[in-house]
Amino acid sequence: MSIMKLNVIDLEKSEYKGGKSSLCPGCGHDQISNVIIQAAWENGIRPEGIAKMSGIGCSSKTPAYFLGKSHGFNTVHGRMPSVTTGANMVNKNLSFLAVSGDGDTASIGIGQFIHAIRRNLDMVYIIENNGVYGLTKGQYSATVEKGSKKKKGAMNEQAPIDLCAMAVNLGCSFVARSFSGSKKQLTALLRAAMSHKGMAIIDVISPCVTFANNDESYKSYNYVKENDEILHIVDYIPHFSPIEAVEVPAGEFKEIKLFDGSTLRLETVGSEHNPNDPVEALRAIHEADREGRHVTGLLYYNPDMKTATETLGLTDTPLMALPDSQLRPSEESLELLNAGFRGN
Amino acid sequence: MSPRINDFTINIATANGTGSQSANLVILHSMYEMGVPVSGKNLFPSNISGLPTWFIIRASDAGYQAPGDFTHIQVMMNKDTWQKDLDKLDPGTVIIYNQDAKLPVERDDCIVLGMPMTKMARSISPKMAKLMANMYYVGALAHILNIEHEAIEKAISQQFGGKEKAIEWNMQAISEGREYAKENWDYETEYLVEKREKDPNTFLIEGNEATALGAIYGGINMLSWYPITPSSSVAESIIAWIPKLREGDDGGTTCAVVQAEDELAAAGMVLGAGWAGGRGMTCTSGPGISLMSEFIGLFYFAEVPGVIWDVNRVGPSTGLPTRTQQGDLSMLYEASHGDTQHIVLIPGTVNECFEFGWRAFDYADRFQTMVFGFGDLDLGMNRWSTEGFEYPDKPMDRGKVIRSKEQMDAISNYGRYRDVDGDGIAYRTLPGSGLDPILYRGTGHDEDGIYSEDPKVYHATMERLRRKIDGARDILPAPIIREEKEKSIGIIFYGSMENTIVEIDDMLEENGLSISTCRVRALPYHSEVQSFIERHEKIIVLEINRDGQLFGILRKELPVHLLSKIHSVAYSDGLPPRAKVYSDMIIDTLDEVEL
Repeated sequence: MSIMKLNVIDLEKSEYKGGKSSLCPGCGHDQISNVIIQAAWENGIRPEGIAKMSGIGCSSKTPAYFLGKSHGFNTVHGRMPSVTTGANMVNKNLSFLAVSGDGDTASIGIGQFIHAIRRNLDMVYIIENNGVYGLTKGQYSATVEKGSKKKKGAMNEQAPIDLCAMAVNLGCSFVARSFSGSKKQLTALLRAAMSHKGMAIIDVISPCVTFANNDESYKSYNYVKENDEILHIVDYIPHFSPIEAVEVPAGEFKEIKLFDGSTLRLETVGSEHNPNDPVEALRAIHEADREGRHVTGLLYYNPDMKTATETLGLTDTPLMALPDSQLRPSEESLELLNAGFRGN
Repeated sequence: MSPRINDFTINIATANGTGSQSANLVILHSMYEMGVPVSGKNLFPSNISGLPTWFIIRASDAGYQAPGDFTHIQVMMNKDTWQKDLDKLDPGTVIIYNQDAKLPVERDDCIVLGMPMTKMARSISPKMAKLMANMYYVGALAHILNIEHEAIEKAISQQFGGKEKAIEWNMQAISEGREYAKENWDYETEYLVEKREKDPNTFLIEGNEATALGAIYGGINMLSWYPITPSSSVAESIIAWIPKLREGDDGGTTCAVVQAEDELAAAGMVLGAGWAGGRGMTCTSGPGISLMSEFIGLFYFAEVPGVIWDVNRVGPSTGLPTRTQQGDLSMLYEASHGDTQHIVLIPGTVNECFEFGWRAFDYADRFQTMVFGFGDLDLGMNRWSTEGFEYPDKPMDRGKVIRSKEQMDAISNYGRYRDVDGDGIAYRTLPGSGLDPILYRGTGHDEDGIYSEDPKVYHATMERLRRKIDGARDILPAPIIREEKEKSIGIIFYGSMENTIVEIDDMLEENGLSISTCRVRALPYHSEVQSFIERHEKIIVLEINRDGQLFGILRKELPVHLLSKIHSVAYSDGLPPRAKVYSDMIIDTLDEVEL
């Protein structure tokens, strides 16, 4: 019998698991759910401190499949960011972990996506991006590339919405892209996102095995594996002693300090990428796009932004925990108010 | 002929953006200072500058607050509506006009009094002449009506508090206007204001500001809003008053305010706040409710508390965005797809705006659902008299929230949606507590909050929700009933119709009718509403809309044997209700019933 490993807060990984998935066997989303479980466990986050948020779609069903000890809200289509905003306003101590899809984010929810970034909401926002609507049986979504073709139907002729490019343009404080099949990269990026304060977006290409996993689809397993343009090799080093040892790379690398004291190490592959420069991030996205490739890694990082709740100057105590005495002004104050209106 | 004292209506025709609102409020407040029962209605366009605006001031010792069915004094400042304004006047009306408009006033049957207002204003300040010209009609009215100088001074200092130059110039303009009228007009006045004992406790305030204050005393800690007339001033008042009335012990803000990207997001934020244990609210108008409807269904089905305050404007579609109506009631009551039913609080006075403003949060937390406040532009954006707001008579009710393991252990067979107490209201835990978490969802769920499409489970959930909201009936504000001995005719009405009902009642009594009234203050309606109907021979349901929306709700929910008693009188043209329009319709309807 093997001894179960414990994380930094002495919990087994099983404490981070959820219910059984009802998605199609082989779905990229299930791989992402496993990474979420792994990352939250390795980072030693209290499960009860996490709030799982989602919209509607295959991806948005997944919060039922991970972190069963966390409260969650499977909201309405495309409106997860606003519900997260409200919850964040009254309880800024919650760690918001949100899952959305490309239909949920790039079409019906594009407005809320943009405005959540603009406010720098303190949350991790994972887009499980497969280029098709799964629950309604395989229509194209707005992130599908021009020239890509799903299993059935005509080739897509419209230009895609690149959610990472959009996020960089909006000044999002943490923008990354990954692939559901790249477990190590995705885990490191997600752990870094969890250590970040502010809006962290990870656009994860997550093939739809049922409707768009044919080789003509730019988001199929085979296509992504062959056309993955890795910006850098990412290693996450927690601020506490890690469960697994992290090796120091032989070549060049740069390190990024995260809000909670952890580090993300970016090992140079080819030429160095400076994630603090939005122009470099956009160049990387557009150059890869021109060649029909997917660029993955930490595209952009800006740690010097106030979060939505910091901007408002709220009390240290989360608003939902304030005693009534701080929420209802005194009886005397109302007398003064009435007197003021009377002109006395 | 002896003059009419404290019983007349003044109509002031101006263009918006010309500063006339200040002048109009000075007249209103100075009369109010003298203790004259007075009300003011602003009929404004959906525009920032240059379109016609009318301000109607009614003085009435009888306490009538409707705009009145006749104009006694017409002030003419707007060239664009000049002829139309003239044409609709009855013979004998006093016309005060700006001669600098250089337009003819061909009404020999009226009393026509001109003054070169713009020219005179130019002598005080050439730059400000257009704005200042309005103060000359204040002076003219002060002369004709005999408004006291001290009352004017007080109203001016209230209006321009702290701006010494503005106070000086405006007082000068009013004095010059008064003087000019005295010197140049050969007119023996037919209308006078007479000082009345003013209750020193009373003041005028807009319903929206009262709502905002109520919300603050109700413990609002998350306000999300998207600007829309006529509700924006609810949000703006909360923003203005919060820092003056509340501060956290560490000096931080105790209410997060988010200007949302649209009404959908505003509703979503309220939902998120309520889910996380906060007191969230948004304010909007009909178009906003339409957009929020999907979320409203989720509030209902996932059972999350929240408050949405609807200040009704005229629909459908963009409608008449700066006019008033009670056209949203049936939409609010059953907003969203599927079977839903929502609590709707319906204030009829500014005091109730305040009271329902704080109670809304208690009801939302208690019944774990979305609660509507339902006012309209007339109540929300016009100024009404009050003797002051009353402090909440009980501590905040946070409802059935389990906050500790001990509380959880005390409940046998806990499930997020299990009706342990038999009142349809289940217990809930909050995110972050670690206590029996669930994934909230808009999909079917069983008593433990687990996804379910089981027909029995769905049916049982919907029946419990019906029971839950039905259980609110007699806990929500009871109707205000004024009952006659005869019990022949009863009028059921709601909201801002309160300000016209006394006058309607008097008109009907002049016609020999004996009228009881019942003002509904919440939906689902109180059992006393039904017993009021049972006690009376005939019931009129009086509303400011086309279709008789409360009538429809009553017809759906009342027992069949009462249905033949109730009759709808509904009328809406965008203007605040005028008594004669409705009393005539009531008489006609009663005549038809007799046949």
